[in-house]
Amino acid sequence: MTPVNESMDLESKRMELRGVVRLAGEIIAQYWPMRTFVHHNPLHSLEYLPFEETVRRGKQFLNGDGYLPSDLYRAYVASGRIRLEHLEAALQPLASDRTIVLGSRSVTHGEVLRACLTEGICSPVREPLDDQLEDPDRDLIERIARKLEHVLETPSLDDRVKKVVETNHSALCRWLTLSHWCDDTLGTSIVQTINDQMIKWCSAFLDEGHAAWTMSDRDEGLYQSWKRLAAQEWSLIGIADSRRKIAALPDHPEDTLLESLDLLGIPLALRQDYLSLQLTALPGWAGFIKWRGEERDYPWQQAHPVGLVKFLAIRLWYARELVQAACREYLDIQGRFDEIIAYMRDYSEEYYLRRQRIAGHLPSLYAEEVDRLAHRKGQGWNAVLTRYRTEVVPRHQATRRRGNARRLLVLSRSLDIRDEQLVESEPQALKQVIDWIEAFPESDHGIVWLKAFEAGYHEPLIGQLIAASKRERTEKPTTLPLRPYSQSVYCIDVRSEPFRRHIESIGPHETYGFAGFFAAFIRYRAWGKEHDTEQFPVIMRAKNEVREIPRSYLDHKVSQHQVWTKWVHAGHTLLHDLKENVITPYVMVESIGWFYSLPIFGKTLLPSLYRRVTRWLQRQFVPPLPTTLTVNKLSPTDTSEMLTVEHHKLIRVAIQERLGLRSIHITPSLIEGLRQRALQGGGEQDPGFLAEAEVVGLKANALDAFVLVLQREYDVNSRASSRYKERLTRTGFTLEEQTLTVETALRMMGLTKNFARLILFCAHGSTSDNNPYESALDCGACGGNEGQPNARVLAMMANHDKVRARLRKTGIDIPSDTHFLAGQMNTTTDAVRLFDLEDVPPTHRADLARLHDDLREAAELASRERCGRFPEVQQPLDESQATAHVRQRSVDWSQVRPEWGLSSNTTFLIGRRELTRGLDFNGRVFLHSYDYREDPTTRFLEVLLTAPQVVAQWINMEHYFSAVDNEVYGSGSKIYHNVVGRFGIMSGPWSDLRLGLARQTVMNGEMPYHEPMRLLTIVEAPRRGIEKLIARHEVLQHYYHNEWVHLVVLDPVDGEWYRYRANGEWAQLVQEQMAMTS
Amino acid sequence: MTSAVLFSWLATCIPLIGALAGRMLWEDLSQLKQSCVIWSLISVVPILKLQTNLPEGALLLALLPIVAVISLLGQPVQKDHRLSWVMTLVCLGLGIGSIVHPAPLSHLFLLALLMTMTGLLVHHHTILWPISWWGISLFCLAALGALVTVMTNPPLSSFGALMTAAVLIPLLPFHTGYVTALTRLPGNLPSFSAFLLPAVGLHVMASALQTVPTTASGIVGLLALIGALYGAVKALAQTRVRLMLSYASLSFFSMLWWHSAASNLATARAAVLVASVGLATCGLLIAWQIIRTRYGDDVDPSSISGLASSMPRYAVLVTLLALAAMGLPPFGVFAGLMGLLLHSPIPSLIGLMILLSSWLAASWYLMSAVQRLLFGVRRSDLRYHDVVQQEWVALTITIIILTVLGLAPIEWWTSTATQSMTQTFSRVIP
Repeated sequence: MTPVNESMDLESKRMELRGVVRLAGEIIAQYWPMRTFVHHNPLHSLEYLPFEETVRRGKQFLNGDGYLPSDLYRAYVASGRIRLEHLEAALQPLASDRTIVLGSRSVTHGEVLRACLTEGICSPVREPLDDQLEDPDRDLIERIARKLEHVLETPSLDDRVKKVVETNHSALCRWLTLSHWCDDTLGTSIVQTINDQMIKWCSAFLDEGHAAWTMSDRDEGLYQSWKRLAAQEWSLIGIADSRRKIAALPDHPEDTLLESLDLLGIPLALRQDYLSLQLTALPGWAGFIKWRGEERDYPWQQAHPVGLVKFLAIRLWYARELVQAACREYLDIQGRFDEIIAYMRDYSEEYYLRRQRIAGHLPSLYAEEVDRLAHRKGQGWNAVLTRYRTEVVPRHQATRRRGNARRLLVLSRSLDIRDEQLVESEPQALKQVIDWIEAFPESDHGIVWLKAFEAGYHEPLIGQLIAASKRERTEKPTTLPLRPYSQSVYCIDVRSEPFRRHIESIGPHETYGFAGFFAAFIRYRAWGKEHDTEQFPVIMRAKNEVREIPRSYLDHKVSQHQVWTKWVHAGHTLLHDLKENVITPYVMVESIGWFYSLPIFGKTLLPSLYRRVTRWLQRQFVPPLPTTLTVNKLSPTDTSEMLTVEHHKLIRVAIQERLGLRSIHITPSLIEGLRQRALQGGGEQDPGFLAEAEVVGLKANALDAFVLVLQREYDVNSRASSRYKERLTRTGFTLEEQTLTVETALRMMGLTKNFARLILFCAHGSTSDNNPYESALDCGACGGNEGQPNARVLAMMANHDKVRARLRKTGIDIPSDTHFLAGQMNTTTDAVRLFDLEDVPPTHRADLARLHDDLREAAELASRERCGRFPEVQQPLDESQATAHVRQRSVDWSQVRPEWGLSSNTTFLIGRRELTRGLDFNGRVFLHSYDYREDPTTRFLEVLLTAPQVVAQWINMEHYFSAVDNEVYGSGSKIYHNVVGRFGIMSGPWSDLRLGLARQTVMNGEMPYHEPMRLLTIVEAPRRGIEKLIARHEVLQHYYHNEWVHLVVLDPVDGEWYRYRANGEWAQLVQEQMAMTS
Repeated sequence: MTSAVLFSWLATCIPLIGALAGRMLWEDLSQLKQSCVIWSLISVVPILKLQTNLPEGALLLALLPIVAVISLLGQPVQKDHRLSWVMTLVCLGLGIGSIVHPAPLSHLFLLALLMTMTGLLVHHHTILWPISWWGISLFCLAALGALVTVMTNPPLSSFGALMTAAVLIPLLPFHTGYVTALTRLPGNLPSFSAFLLPAVGLHVMASALQTVPTTASGIVGLLALIGALYGAVKALAQTRVRLMLSYASLSFFSMLWWHSAASNLATARAAVLVASVGLATCGLLIAWQIIRTRYGDDVDPSSISGLASSMPRYAVLVTLLALAAMGLPPFGVFAGLMGLLLHSPIPSLIGLMILLSSWLAASWYLMSAVQRLLFGVRRSDLRYHDVVQQEWVALTITIIILTVLGLAPIEWWTSTATQSMTQTFSRVIP
């Protein structure tokens, strides 16, 4: 019984640990592979906490700032972007009504707080012990400092030592790993060493086809693979006898992780936080492993399984060994939590000096002394501390007084108090001001700045909308609506907003906004591709598959096309292998390296021409084939037929490969007979078939063996057939599904009457060169892919006669002369490409030509508008210049901002176009068409708030955090980016996987191009319905109650505007004031 | 009195008079600093008028007052630095005197210079730096060597001179004097001493080498090789900037010792190397002084980072200086080293490999230090303030001179005596 109990106990421990690891992983966000970049909130898992609290956690675990540096906010104040009245409004909850007198002036608490923000007097600048720069205020500062001498209490050295010990005691394992502790106390670089090891192993293991020489034993998982290889590796990182130790580790990663936690002595209560800290040391790699661990169907995950437990097992093994070695070497103690705590307590003064030394706070001579004593615990430290106490501490105290005097001087000048008056002020009054300043440290400024910053944007925007809504109410239409030239539906993406504005300005075109997947949840496989793409928001799932196939009249060209494609592919593979192989590059450079000068010079000097020539060449070799999509479901007969054809093909190949028979001897009846036997297993044998089999040399025994081969190696068996059939049944949509999809889409966007002759579903994608972030420019609602398959699917469904007939019954009467078109806007060039033009009736040629021309004109205008935002475009460009410029950018391989359209997003607006038509939002607003009159039950609004709003919020938060702390939440400069393993980006040759957006995407020089603000959602719908939705959905409560998203509502019931507050109450907006601001 | 003697005395006395005049401006800091700069500049005039026939050429002599000016400009106007400004003039006068005057007068000036250094080091000794007693002792030893040189005949006088030179141009194990001077002297004296001591040392060495026995040269060569490697390793291990620069200088000057010991000569090429290494060290010490001016005299270098974005002018100048100091073209250190490597015999291949390794190591520790300062996290607790005009002028002049030393033909710096020695040497080596 005992072994069984022990094993059960062990298993329960492992399960418990897996749970702890799952919770510990909450702090890190999933990292999607770069080829389907998904904008997301890097702190998404913590949205259940208030925004401010989450920002604090981000600082705790990731050391990431949640707000812009105060200097930048002050620059916004100087430029007028942040207004003082907004700042005061944001400060109001913090300011008391107390006042003090400085000189002859009465100063309020609020004024001091405001000066803290605008003058930067709370900045954490440390006064140097004795700076010697010329300073005209030096005497004044000295005088003020002298006044503070008797009122300003400075903590004694003993108090400071005690405080440091207490702070670090409580931080250990909560904010600080033992490895970090060693680095901060002993000057080791354990964290960096562990990170380097983890990057090495993870990049080798997780590789997805980039490496020419792959890591061995990857199919056994990260832990086993590491264990096997590392046990043969000579350790250069100071772990003695590492090979033996690794070889002796348990087989289960959970056991190793538990063992490490025990050896480090991490208390049970702190284990989750401790593991979180370990994960956040490399949030990129850990995030990707977390994503892989959750995507069990991901082919690479199936082939090479990995998970956070495995990752942590390896990481903590390194940690325990290195911490142990460092603690023994420097302190002669075990590297355990309890022993480290005891050391801090028993040798607190020595500990203090060590930490001050590593933090760079000791004068250089003392630093030398500490270095000399570094390997001696308890010996000689007292002498140093005594000298430090008598020589340095008084200087520190004087420095502190000088620092405070400088602050007071800056404050008094900002309040127009004369210097002499300040010097003559009562010391107690001066101390009071210092207390106020110290009670409002810079770490508390961020949220105040952010609120003022947001108010400065919200006020004019909402004012603009209020004015528009008033106009719309007062100007009633006098005539019946005319039939527009066209209606086009664009993605809600902010990049569609300028284009929609321009096409509406050209002629009577109506536009709508809808999430770019157009309600078509599909897995899509493009013609000639081997993998599906998931064409829907990542928070959802799809059950329908759609394939792109050549049009039926081109059957005769397909095989030729395939052959050419194969040759081109083989050529690419050959070149890649020659380049990446260990030996061949040396020969290759000598032999054909010169040919590469052509693309190098072409791409660099004449990128547009080079692109045109290469495309022309490509078309000569592999001309594009017109295609269609498999939108309709296959009937059972079609499914069986396709299965049979597939089986026949496989069996024919098997006979040729295994039996060596020539085609002439392989009869259809033989193939069918073999198929039947493979599918049915044993049973009665048809004598006719047996005879035929004997003719080709298959005797009874050989026949059975061959059938077994068919079943096992060629998947000709009943189970595989079921799978294949099931897969085929997922292809396409039933008529009901198609009707529902079209109806949902049209109703949700409010397009249910007055249909134009041409209706365009316009998806979007992008083109750029040498840009690993290319998919970040594609459609977020389509899972980071181009949206054209979805647009084509919806257009094909809407053109379906039977679908229209059914829609008619639901009250949507689409005229017979209305034709739905699919298109895709290239957001880097603004050009719109139309698809399936073969299906456009001849009667619509004139309409199509007009639409085509207007789209081109709108594209030119949109390009011109966008060119005005590029910093390097100094002069305004005309339309043709702008078009040429954006095309050039899209093919320029040195361009770090090929598009720059998605940054600067701020707002998600759900409402009728009538509310926003003609308003210029500068490409900053996600516009989703929604007519509350078509949605009395708020069924559609529910979808909009819980799906597209989530996508918009993820995009917004990705940009927000990338802008406020680009090094931690963003991915730093693009200049240093290197692609690793075909799934991620590293800075330089060796770094964590970079998480968010590049610096060039969100910053314009030192100032943010993307103004980091939380998403503002504006909805035109009755408040009562929205309240119910908020009560029903946790995600909405998190957004609005935890202040992740601002909600403003235009209530059509009373025509008033309201802001939803975090406490669940509505506050009516003062319309006149807002309108005036706008 | 001939004009040569007159100008020699003028060159010697002008700085000393300037030092005396400085006492009158003691309370007015700006005036005092300006006066020291002007007196140093005036002393250039008689030096240019001098028709010297020094074996090492007149380069070092001409540069001495300019380096004094540079080191003074790099210093902030601060009460505590008054003594160092005045002592710069004193040392400049004594240094010039020890070069331009014939023996035994030159030895007396040298003795005075060494005693001044000793006095200054004793005055600035601290118990936190007990090793400075070694440095002080070595300066006393150098003074003793100078006395022996005056009072005895060759070869004993040569040994005395060699010992003095080994303290002034650091040679293992006599390098601690130089290291102490660069780390413990106050104000701008370390940056000035980085040039002054080797400049005077080369003059002493030039006269001593010709009479030193071959065995002694072999020992010096061996010590130089060990010193080059030791200096590089010590520099790699340092966290303090001034120590790192001192050991880097030891490494580079050891290369000079090795070549000089092999050829028994100290030519103008050696002067180019000494000038370049001294000047690059002086420039980097000024650059470090700029940091100390902002963040305190005893700032810990590991607490400073991210200067590139906040102090761009400083970053550019320091990077150029570091490139010069590590021996990259087109600066003087490269020209000096290549000049020695290509124009003097190479006694052993292993020795050459050691020298090249030491040279290579410089690119590691110097760039690593510069990288730490300039890049990394921009610290929010530091107040960044880019170079002021005088600092900019000091560093720019240093870089210009280093570039000129790297690009100018060697004939510019060669005296008649050197030319004849070099020609003799060329005839000896086929």
